[in-house]
Amino acid sequence: MTAQEVRLCGLLLREHFGEVVEKVGTHLLKSGAQNLRTIIHETGLSVDLVKKSLCVLVQHGASTFSSGRKGPGSPTEYHASCDRILRILRYPRYIYTAKTLYGDTGELIIEELLQRGHTMMSSTVKTVADRLTQNMAEGRTMDYSEVSSTFSKLVETHFLQRCPPLPRVGNKDSSAPSETPATPGTPAAPVNTAPPTPESFPECYKVPSVTLIGRGKRQLASEDGEEQRSAKRAKMDPETHGDEGIYWQVNFERFHLHFRDQTIISAVANKLDQTSSEIVRTMLRMSEVTTSPMATCTKPLSANEIFRSLPPSYNILRPILDQYLTLLVDDPMEFVGKAGESGGGMFVVNLHRALANLARATLESVVQERFGSRSARIFRLLLRKRHLEQKQVEDFAMIPAKEAKDMLYTLLSQNLVQLQEIPKTPDYAPSRTFYLYTVNQLPTARMLLQSCYKTVANLVERRLFETKESKRLLEKSQRIEAILASLQASGAEPEQLTEVEEMITAPEKQQLDTLRLHINKLDSAENQVDETIFLLESYINSTNASS
Amino acid sequence: MAARGRGQRTLSFTMETVKGDAPPPSVQQPTPVFPVMEQKPLPLTGGEEAEYLLALKQDFRGAMRNLPCFIQPLVTHRDVERYSDKYNRSEQMDKLLDWAPDWKRFPRELRVHVRKPARDSVSAAVQSPPPPQMKKKGVKDKEEVLLKLESLEKKEEQETSEDEEGETKKKQEEEEAEAEEEYDEEEFEEETDYIMSYFDNGEDFGGDSDDNMDEAIY
Repeated sequence: MTAQEVRLCGLLLREHFGEVVEKVGTHLLKSGAQNLRTIIHETGLSVDLVKKSLCVLVQHGASTFSSGRKGPGSPTEYHASCDRILRILRYPRYIYTAKTLYGDTGELIIEELLQRGHTMMSSTVKTVADRLTQNMAEGRTMDYSEVSSTFSKLVETHFLQRCPPLPRVGNKDSSAPSETPATPGTPAAPVNTAPPTPESFPECYKVPSVTLIGRGKRQLASEDGEEQRSAKRAKMDPETHGDEGIYWQVNFERFHLHFRDQTIISAVANKLDQTSSEIVRTMLRMSEVTTSPMATCTKPLSANEIFRSLPPSYNILRPILDQYLTLLVDDPMEFVGKAGESGGGMFVVNLHRALANLARATLESVVQERFGSRSARIFRLLLRKRHLEQKQVEDFAMIPAKEAKDMLYTLLSQNLVQLQEIPKTPDYAPSRTFYLYTVNQLPTARMLLQSCYKTVANLVERRLFETKESKRLLEKSQRIEAILASLQASGAEPEQLTEVEEMITAPEKQQLDTLRLHINKLDSAENQVDETIFLLESYINSTNASS
Repeated sequence: MAARGRGQRTLSFTMETVKGDAPPPSVQQPTPVFPVMEQKPLPLTGGEEAEYLLALKQDFRGAMRNLPCFIQPLVTHRDVERYSDKYNRSEQMDKLLDWAPDWKRFPRELRVHVRKPARDSVSAAVQSPPPPQMKKKGVKDKEEVLLKLESLEKKEEQETSEDEEGETKKKQEEEEAEAEEEYDEEEFEEETDYIMSYFDNGEDFGGDSDDNMDEAIY
């Protein structure tokens, strides 16, 4: 993890879990795996706080524990995972996707799971039903079975998965091999292997048979006291629903595959037209189940199959479909490739190549926005032609020599372009050496990714700064809103309401409005940068997988 | 960017000898904090989806603040004593007690036994000792007991001092009462004439080793 990543993780932890967890989390990120004692000693926090923070981190999957490196007797060690914490940036996108696919119920289920980390199906279903009931019209309640069915659908499509059962990391227990849930066949070695992924368990996506009969409860304001007392009583004796000990978590990888597909489809729609994007969408939908997450391209699909699976609203003729497919194959973005001639032509969607091209387009757009379109032309030229001398750059880009030199120097100083020396003689005499400019896509993408992390961290810090500056004003406005709400609930006269509203003066209101505007802008900027982060991360991960 | 100066210097050397044109002058000081940008950045993409995502993000942040996993340390800066502190503190304590994860999924050493401080504690002067509560919970490990004793003592002090207030004492005296109480406790604990600080009853022994039960204690 780089310094920028650690800084961003720290800020995200602070916003969502508080400063104590931030301190523990950043310490774990910077120093790797550590045991409890060292963490307490080095962070200087109290034992209780450290324990509680570690519980929170483990509960949300940001940290894992394993038995120590020195063998079964040593204390448990905790590692924090940087990637997992950075996912917090993407939570709104996950929730929104669930809403588009499975409606409000799906949205609330994913939101609950993201807020609580690992939860059981029964508790999630109950909470979601209650929340849905709150928002429904008077007298209507949400049935548990509806929520359960949405939950099952989410599990079937692999958006949710079970948390892997943990090995017993007891210091006093003898590490019984039967308890370590490794895949069958591995020897009972000391638990030093990487933690098993959730997918290595056969029951990862199996919905337990849960007996949940009931409807959501609406919380009425007048019965608040009673509700709290009955809720406390309910906590004392939890009802078991047959799924004790089975915890669920959100499967981020599946969401990422979905986002990747969406990005490809919208790219095709932007470059070509709606019909082509529908064709690509159909192809991706057909290969959803057959394609592994790390696959370079989808399984070959014949043109006949595609024709049959097109949505009925798009009744295009067969020859037109063939023409569209040919267009897609010939497109320089290489989204679709031809894999054979049987069945009217076998076509695949080139996933990795599409990601690489999208990343390339992102880099070009960054150069264009930062340095102007002529510098972007030079950049594109170098991407295409690999190595060029300065004279050749001037000629190919059709830019006067002086300006081309300036632009090249600027790009070089920003590290977007590299210089490659090719000597003619063993001593690197400058007059007898070729100096070639070149662009390497992968390292440049990595550099840009780090710069994105830095950007988001700066945005978050600025937002926190703005909030802190106007803390008094915000508190005052919150108090007044609370007073207004209570007055309205108890049915006050309009004069009283206006009187309370006037407690905020006009310039203060204006200040609040500008503050609100700034915070909204900073937040949406974070969301937008996260889209770029996703694209670059997917590209970099795809190159890792294939290499 | 530390290599920038170096890079430019070698460049100027090479380019000069090759081309004969003057290179751009090298920069000798750090760049300004907010440099003037030649190209203004693009505006943010608006639209329904972006606004909905924004609302989701802010709601999620707000919701996380109210969950029990948002940990705020109990110590707060007390620039001015406020009457509302009495009520705010009890709120925070409730939140800590709220969350009960499934302890089977966590390593044993992380288990924190947070118990509600005794609401029916006796009068201010005598602090009801934790051992009766210990026996109720049936904790056997001595070091865990000692550790919890320490943390509980602190919590009970706050609780009993709050109870004092509820009776008659004013808020200003709470500070003094706390300080006094610590001193008073020691004296009243055994109701002897001997000063407690001279006597070491071994309570501190073992409490410093926190909770790492694997370490041998000599």
